[in-house]
Amino acid sequence: MSVFKTEWTADDADRWTIHDLLACVFGVLAFFLVTVGLAGSILLQPWGFVCLALSMVFTWLTFKVIDPKLRTLSAAFEKKQAGYLEDMERHNRWEGDDAG
Amino acid sequence: MDQAAAVSVVFTPLDWLWVILLISAMIACGVVFYRLGKRSEADFFLAGRGLPWWLPATSVYATHTATDTPMWICGTIYKWGMRGIWFPFFTAWTAISAFVSTRIFRRSLAMSQAEWQNLRYSGLGAELLRGWLAGWQTFMNMFVLAWVSAAMGKICTYLFAWPNWIGVVAFTSICAVYVLVAGYWGVIMADFQQGVISFLVITLVSVWGISVAGGPSGIVSRLGEIGESARLNPFHFDGFWGLDPNLFYTADFVTLLIMSTLGGIGMGNFIDWYPEAQRIQSARTIRDASYSIWAGGFVTLIRNSVWAVAILAFFVMYPALESEAQYEMGWFRLGFEHLPAGMIGVFFAGIIAIHLSTISTHLNLGALYATRDLYHHYINPEASEATLVRVGRINTLLLLLGSFLLGLTMQSITSWLIFALWLQAAGIWIPSLLQVIWWRFNSWAYLSSWIANLVMSWLVVWVLPALGVLPELPNWLNFWLLAGLVSLVYLPVCFFTKADDREHLLRYYVQARPLGFWGPIHAEAERRGLLTTQGGAS
Repeated sequence: MSVFKTEWTADDADRWTIHDLLACVFGVLAFFLVTVGLAGSILLQPWGFVCLALSMVFTWLTFKVIDPKLRTLSAAFEKKQAGYLEDMERHNRWEGDDAG
Repeated sequence: MDQAAAVSVVFTPLDWLWVILLISAMIACGVVFYRLGKRSEADFFLAGRGLPWWLPATSVYATHTATDTPMWICGTIYKWGMRGIWFPFFTAWTAISAFVSTRIFRRSLAMSQAEWQNLRYSGLGAELLRGWLAGWQTFMNMFVLAWVSAAMGKICTYLFAWPNWIGVVAFTSICAVYVLVAGYWGVIMADFQQGVISFLVITLVSVWGISVAGGPSGIVSRLGEIGESARLNPFHFDGFWGLDPNLFYTADFVTLLIMSTLGGIGMGNFIDWYPEAQRIQSARTIRDASYSIWAGGFVTLIRNSVWAVAILAFFVMYPALESEAQYEMGWFRLGFEHLPAGMIGVFFAGIIAIHLSTISTHLNLGALYATRDLYHHYINPEASEATLVRVGRINTLLLLLGSFLLGLTMQSITSWLIFALWLQAAGIWIPSLLQVIWWRFNSWAYLSSWIANLVMSWLVVWVLPALGVLPELPNWLNFWLLAGLVSLVYLPVCFFTKADDREHLLRYYVQARPLGFWGPIHAEAERRGLLTTQGGAS
């Protein structure tokens, strides 16, 4: 399976895959590096500029790896959302067989 | 009250003009979005679930930039140097949450975290849990309102030598106008405006402060001259681990890192989760929700770094402050003591923006729990949309009044926040993950973890050290000790009580698609053909 897969079916996008894991890992690295990188850059430390540049790279990777999947699963879920909302309101008003 | 001495800051007519313009813009938000806010409960509390990602993202950032935030970041950076930046790094939970818990929560469509408990769990346990969380969150939002207002009180006393109560009451009351009128529509639109203003002001004042301290190279060389160069190193720790609460160990750093990143898998393990849950649900799609949380967290960390350097600048200018109440005002002193005439008003307007963005969120959020989860679910399930909006407004007003009473009793900001943000969440940190990733974790286990944590966190952190029974422990040990002690309660409870109803779990699983250990539920859903594009819709 390609890490930068761009074509997703709705069923595939609903499953947890390596793309989700990679987005999380890249995202955490981007957050970590921007925290030390920006402070270091403002203080004109060489390590700061390196960390800041790496944080930009990981930010780009995060979206590159996850965006096509997010687009597909969002579109598929929106089609079912109205039905789910009706269910939830019934539950909140103690109607139906599973209302507690 | 031990606090920084008041300074004589002169406000020119131009300064007051800035302040009046900003407050007018805030109130205008309420008037403009009045009609949208009153349409329904979902409009009053979620802006109709239709926002593009950048609006809730700005709100995530704006909400987490409160008047108390520069105080506690200043408190940690002044005390620990650059390594103190790992305390506010807990915001990094949004990096993982954006693609895990945010997605699961957005799919559940729950209006609040308390409602999610009711969708995830079933039966009496779920109802007790929802009622408990709703009550707790109503109080907790009042508590947050109080400490943020207390911070504003400190600033006004410092600036104008006003009695504390004026700062606590005045600006929070202004904010209540547009929250009462337009609900979440007013909150989110004002947050956008306030988020942009606050980011610009924070950058302006910080850059100015850094410049006054001699610029980046001046700060570095001055730290060297006074033998404090280690303050530049974010990884300078006092050994791997130890028991002295006044030292910063690698164990503190590792604990903060684990807690802040892996915490993003769970729901409800940080107090910040609760306002974010509202933003997640107000986003128009799952993708918008994910990006709003990710981007909001990212910008918040950028802000932390800018602040951290500004506070190092403050440190080299005033290196001998010993009282927490004095040095936690450092960033404000940079602005008010060093900005040129005419800019003071911009700074104060920025502070008001920072203050109002947090206040508005917690007023609306507390009212959401009181209205949706207590009134609508338990007291009047048949209430009309007009009634729910009216009750939402009444609850907003009650929260406001309660927060004034609490806010007038608070003293130090940093200690409260470390306790509330970290230690008070320690015992429920693991259960909050388990409820997302493990089908067998049930409502009784989660409820028991909350109760056990509330009791034990106060005992371990405050009561037993005060009585001399326990020594004062370092933060990292407090966290793991509480996590361990509370697990002695919820694990037996989980295994000695029944799993949740299978049909209920199946319905939740098909809609929310949680990750983790859901094997039996997943298998049943597959057997019934509920996991395809065609399946699952009710």
